Amino acid sequence: MAERMQLCNISENNFEQCTKCSICTTVCPVAAVTTDYPGPKQAGPDGERYRLKDPAYFDKALKMCLNCKRCEVACPSGVHIADIIQHARMDATLGKQRASLRDTLLANTDLLGTVANLVAPVANATLGLKPTKAVMHSVMAIDKHRTFPAYSRQKFTTWFKRHAAKEQDAFAHHVSYFHGCYVNYNFPKLGQDLVKLMNAVGYGVHLLDKEQCCGVALIANGLYKQAMRQGRTNIDSIRKSVTRDNRVVLTTSSSCTFNMRDEYPAMLGIDNADVRDSINLATRFIYKLVDEEKIKLIFKQDYKRRIAYHTACHIQRLGWQLYSIEMLRMIPGLDLVELEQNCCGISGTYGFKKENYELSQAIGATLFKDIADAKVEAVSTDCETCKWQIEMSTGLPVENPISILADALDVEATRQANNIK
Amino acid sequence: MRMDTVIMGGGLSALACGISLAKRGKRVTIVASGQSTMLFNGGSMELLGCIDGKPVEKPLEAIATLPQNHPYSKIGADRIAAISERVKLLFSDSGIEMTGSANANHWRITPMGVAKPAWLTLNDHLRIDDLNNLPAKHLALMCVRGFFDVPNAMLAQGLRELGFEVDMIEFTTDDITSLRRSPSEMRATSLAKRLVSNHALQRVADQLNSLAGEADMVLMPSVFGQNDSSDFQTLQNMTRKPLRLVATLPPSVAGMRMMTQLRHYFRMLGGTYLMGDTAVSGTFEGDKLTSVTTAKLGDMPLKADNFVLATGSFVSRGLRADYERIYEPVLGVDVVADNDRERWTSFGVLQPQAYFGYGVATDEQLRCLKNGKPIQNLRAIGSVLSGHDPVKMGDGTGVSLITAIAAADHIRENK
Repeated sequence: MAERMQLCNISENNFEQCTKCSICTTVCPVAAVTTDYPGPKQAGPDGERYRLKDPAYFDKALKMCLNCKRCEVACPSGVHIADIIQHARMDATLGKQRASLRDTLLANTDLLGTVANLVAPVANATLGLKPTKAVMHSVMAIDKHRTFPAYSRQKFTTWFKRHAAKEQDAFAHHVSYFHGCYVNYNFPKLGQDLVKLMNAVGYGVHLLDKEQCCGVALIANGLYKQAMRQGRTNIDSIRKSVTRDNRVVLTTSSSCTFNMRDEYPAMLGIDNADVRDSINLATRFIYKLVDEEKIKLIFKQDYKRRIAYHTACHIQRLGWQLYSIEMLRMIPGLDLVELEQNCCGISGTYGFKKENYELSQAIGATLFKDIADAKVEAVSTDCETCKWQIEMSTGLPVENPISILADALDVEATRQANNIK
Repeated sequence: MRMDTVIMGGGLSALACGISLAKRGKRVTIVASGQSTMLFNGGSMELLGCIDGKPVEKPLEAIATLPQNHPYSKIGADRIAAISERVKLLFSDSGIEMTGSANANHWRITPMGVAKPAWLTLNDHLRIDDLNNLPAKHLALMCVRGFFDVPNAMLAQGLRELGFEVDMIEFTTDDITSLRRSPSEMRATSLAKRLVSNHALQRVADQLNSLAGEADMVLMPSVFGQNDSSDFQTLQNMTRKPLRLVATLPPSVAGMRMMTQLRHYFRMLGGTYLMGDTAVSGTFEGDKLTSVTTAKLGDMPLKADNFVLATGSFVSRGLRADYERIYEPVLGVDVVADNDRERWTSFGVLQPQAYFGYGVATDEQLRCLKNGKPIQNLRAIGSVLSGHDPVKMGDGTGVSLITAIAAADHIRENK
């Protein structure tokens, strides 16, 4: 009896799994460049013991955590170190203080995008001007080195409804697409590339009933309640797509994907268990179709490029970089360099903040050097904020694997190979 | 996803096996549940250090006297001699510079100042070939102010007992002092990240040059070179006296460096290393394993012709114990362990502990057994194996490396 009781007596506190081996501290990109941050072990499982006693032990330095999750990936004992830190931040923020105007603006990528799209030429020109940057730097504390990603004149959804929606029903198979803010407001081409690719192999692409920003930036900036509202809307739409329409949901952003699959239940308490497996990064979905010989991809004979692949933090946490890398390796003319897995330092909105600029660049320095040494003409990554950071810091163009695949694809030959009329 | 070989576990043995196979053009995927116990390694490999509490001088000769159930006995001393040379090559191909011989052990120094028999030691670490002929008479033991990871007084005492004359000299530099703002981060791996630029290394060298006095060798904790040995080389070039490193408490810079180099080499050979994923189950067909499911890849199991179980021992969760049994959690293969829980441990932490010798059962070809029958295409290597005792016998890293390459050979020969 006593032994039976012991068998069931396992702590609910995940931090009890920590064996104090300190391995997480060796991979933290923030602790590597500043002594102001206590490191993941101290900030996470160690600090949590104190915070359980008294929330007053919350250390403001925890705000320096990038939530890159590299500590969790390294942990040999399965401790959810970054989740512990994020929860502590959440507990310390909820109901106490309001996010600053700057943080609210940075976090509301869809609000900002909607407004900016309407006045895209003006917004792009203005945001790029030195006086604007100086004002943003001093008044808004958005760092002057940063250039806001250019806003598109036409939203992806507008393009889709005008030019693509009609043809989609004709295909034999169907998927939904969670495009995310970046594709919708800044870079519709990525969404167009996905439609081109999926259509070429016989899949119609559809929008969700209702899509809102996934909320990854809201969580990072402490706007938890708004993140919960938007998360519930998204999961409701995803559920309809999966159960009503029998369509899995594809994504092209690793952070949106990670957020909706893993942060929704872990951070926001949104139950997504019934649809989690149906939220799929497009490269993974396409890889599976190729692997199971359900589709064929034919690439252009004359396509020749040397490209480096950067593993974004959140795709590493998903464990799915394998699919993007294997997809890129299928392109015969592509010479792929797999970069060592280092954080680029931007971490969504983190690097945009004036107080974080230098830290952000110091964190990314190793990666930028590796990219320079790789002697490539472009970099590929599944994360849009890594794209901005790497483009700004290395001068090289950065492309999502889906865009590279679409670019290298021989559309006519692929349609024929898959019997698409 | 189809591979030639899938290796479960991502530590020393997994990488050694993966590199051996990838080098012959095989498609290999390694599934690593986070970082490995190599981060507890002090910069040396040991083939066989002790038998019955006595240090082993000639490991290859002593291997012939080991009991039948030891993993080395399944491979045989002759093959181990040949494999030990290939291990040295594997390290040098990966950029890891080590010295030593399987014919005769040398001595490594632990952070506690104890000399232990070793097979290979990093060239920048203190190595003693002959205790009667020390590599230096007079050591300047440089103690970093505020540094946690070396108990300096114990280390100095141990070195004196070995016959060295030792001066303990405390020092610091601006770069080192800046780390003290965050007391929990004053660790070896943090120092290694700070002491990288020529300026930072020059400031250390200036201290060493001005403080080392009459000593004929300078000893520093192993806090240089998280990626390769170039930071050490730079510092040595700036320092007037011969410089050697001594292991620190974990996580160790030397272990981190070796893992980084092995992983990098494995990737260069075309291998796939899945960091932070865990093999959770397997599918068997008859006497073969057909696929392995991982936590992250979910509904896309890894299929392969051959599989290798390199998941490590209890600390790495390759073996699990509950209140009723000891088991292998991924594939449920047979383990060698006492049924009677009372026998797993003995009172007194320094006493021999039976559980150190527990692990998975294999046949002569290192194939795992399931219900007593060998699985044709599944081999076990490294710490997950039964029949050896890394603590009492000093054979941990040796078993990892030797079985890894022996298993790679079996996989090739079976084609």
